[in-house]
Amino acid sequence: MSETVIPLLQPAPQPRVRRVRKARRVADRMMRIIAAGFTLMAVTVLFWILGMLIVKGVSGLSLATFTQTLPGPGTEGGGLANAIVGSIILTFLGIAIATPIGVLAGTYLAEYGGSSKLANLIRFINDILLSAPSILIGLFVYVILVEPFGGYSGWAGGVALGIIAIPVIVRTTEDMLRLVPASLREAGAALGAPPSIVITSITWRAAKAGMVTGILLALARIAGETAPLIFTALNNSFWFSPTLLGGVSNLPVTIYQFASAPYDNWQQLAWAGSLIITASILLISTVARRLVRGSK
Amino acid sequence: MLATLEPGLQTHNSAASVRIAVKGLDFYYNEHKALKNINLDFRDRHVTALIGPSGCGKSTLLRIFNRIYSLYPEQRATGEVLLDGQNIIGNGIDINELRSRIGMVFQKPTPFPMSIYDNVAFGIRLYEKPAKSELDDRVEAALRRSALWDEVKDKLKMSGMGLSGGQQQRLCIARTIAQKPEVILFDEPTSALDPISTGKIEDLLEQLKSEFTIVIVTHNMQQAARISAYTAFMYLGEVIEFDTTNNIFLNPGKKQTQDYVTGRFG
Repeated sequence: MSETVIPLLQPAPQPRVRRVRKARRVADRMMRIIAAGFTLMAVTVLFWILGMLIVKGVSGLSLATFTQTLPGPGTEGGGLANAIVGSIILTFLGIAIATPIGVLAGTYLAEYGGSSKLANLIRFINDILLSAPSILIGLFVYVILVEPFGGYSGWAGGVALGIIAIPVIVRTTEDMLRLVPASLREAGAALGAPPSIVITSITWRAAKAGMVTGILLALARIAGETAPLIFTALNNSFWFSPTLLGGVSNLPVTIYQFASAPYDNWQQLAWAGSLIITASILLISTVARRLVRGSK
Repeated sequence: MLATLEPGLQTHNSAASVRIAVKGLDFYYNEHKALKNINLDFRDRHVTALIGPSGCGKSTLLRIFNRIYSLYPEQRATGEVLLDGQNIIGNGIDINELRSRIGMVFQKPTPFPMSIYDNVAFGIRLYEKPAKSELDDRVEAALRRSALWDEVKDKLKMSGMGLSGGQQQRLCIARTIAQKPEVILFDEPTSALDPISTGKIEDLLEQLKSEFTIVIVTHNMQQAARISAYTAFMYLGEVIEFDTTNNIFLNPGKKQTQDYVTGRFG
C-alpha cells in the first residue's frame, strides 16, 4: 500500500503527462469540429428546403391562390381555395375524432392501467400504431369505409387522419398525466373525491397545457399527410359537396398531383400549397411551444 | 405494552374520550411488514404527535387513518382502527365518505390548479350543495381560521398555485377545515416551510385543537413538545412508548425514547 502512495506524492513525470494532455486536447478539438460540421450540414439542408420553399412558394402566391379553385388541365390561373378549405375541414375532422379517443385512452393508461398486462399491451400497440406507415392506414380505411359505401368521402379522409393522430395524443396525454405529482391526486382523494372527480377536476387541469400541446402536435402531424388521403378523400378540382361525400379537395394530394404535372401554373400552385402547409405547421408548433413554456 | 403505558395517560386527562382506537394493527407494503402490532388511542380534541426516526412508520400509520393507502393496491392493513367504534379498515366502508370526515394536510403544499376560492370550496362542493352566499361564508370562515383571509381576500379568483409556500400550506389547511372534518391528520406540515411560515402554522394548530382531533407526524422535537398533549415514539415499525408529551420529553420510560428525544440518535 505504502509503495503505491509514495510515488504519487513525488512530482509526476511531467513530459508524459504533457504529451497525454496534448493528445486529448487535439482529440477534443477534432470531436468538436466534426460535430459542428455535421450540425452545419443538417442545418444547411433545412434552410435550403425552407429557402427554396419560400422563393418558389412566394412567387406562386397571389390573391387568386386564396379565392379561386383548382385550375383544370391546360387552363390559366386558378387557385387553392377549395383545397385549403378542404384541408382545414379534413384536419379538424381528424382531430375531432382523435381527441376524445386519444385523451381518454391516455387517461386510462396513466390513471387506471398502471403497469397491468392490459395497459402494457395497449402501450405496445399504440407505439406500433405511432410508427405505422400512413399509406397502410389509408388502405385500411379504404377497405372499411370507401369500398363498402361505394365511394371516396371526406369522412373517410377524416377517419384516416384521426387514426394517425390517435397514438400521438394517447402518448402525450399519458406522459403529461404522469408528470402530475402523486401528492396532488392524494390531496384530492384525501378530501373524499372519487377517482373520476380527481381526474376531471384536478389531474386534467394540472396537465392541461401539456395535453393541449399534444393535440396541437398531432394536428401539425396530420396537416401534411398525403398517403392516407389518396385512398380516402382523394381530391376534387371543384368545390366539394357540403355532405363531404365524394372527393374532397385538399392541399397534400393537390401538391402531389400538381407538382408532377406538366403545367407551369400547376407547379407554381404546388409550391404555394407547400408553403401554406409549412407555414401553418410552423405556426401550430410555435403555439404548442408557447403553451408548454407558459405552463412552467 | 399498552397496559404499562395506560396509567400515565389516565392521570393526565381522563375526561377526554377516545376518538380513534388502534388495536393490533399490522401494515404491509407487498410482503414487507412496515407496522407491527400497533395499539394506540387518540383522544378527542387533543393533539397527538407521532415522532421517530425516518422510516419508523409514523407516516405509514397516519396514512391508514384516512385510508389513503388504499390508492395503492400493493399496500394493505390488518387489525382494527376504530373511529367512534367503527372499524375503518374493514370491509363495507365508504372510503370517500370516510375521507371527507378525516382531513389530511401533506408535507408539501398541494394547492389544486384552480382559484383560491375554488380550492377552499372544492371539499365542500363534493358532499354538500350550499347556496352561493353560504358557500361564500364558509370559504371566508375557513380562510379566516387559517389566518390567510387578510392576505388573499382581494384575489380569491387568482390561482392557488401563485401563493407562497407558507400561504399554500395555509390554503390547504383552509381547504381541509372548510369541509368540517372530525379528525385532521398532519404529515410533517411544516418541514418544507421557512421558520416564519412554520410559526404561523403552529399558531394555527394551537387554535384548531379545541375543535378537531389532531394527529401530527413531525421530525421536529420542539414542535411536538410545543403543540401536542400526547406523543407516541415509534421505531422500526413499532410503538416504543406512548404517553403524555410531558412524560415522553421529561420523564421517558424507555432508554430508546430518551436517546431519541435528547438527540442522541435518530
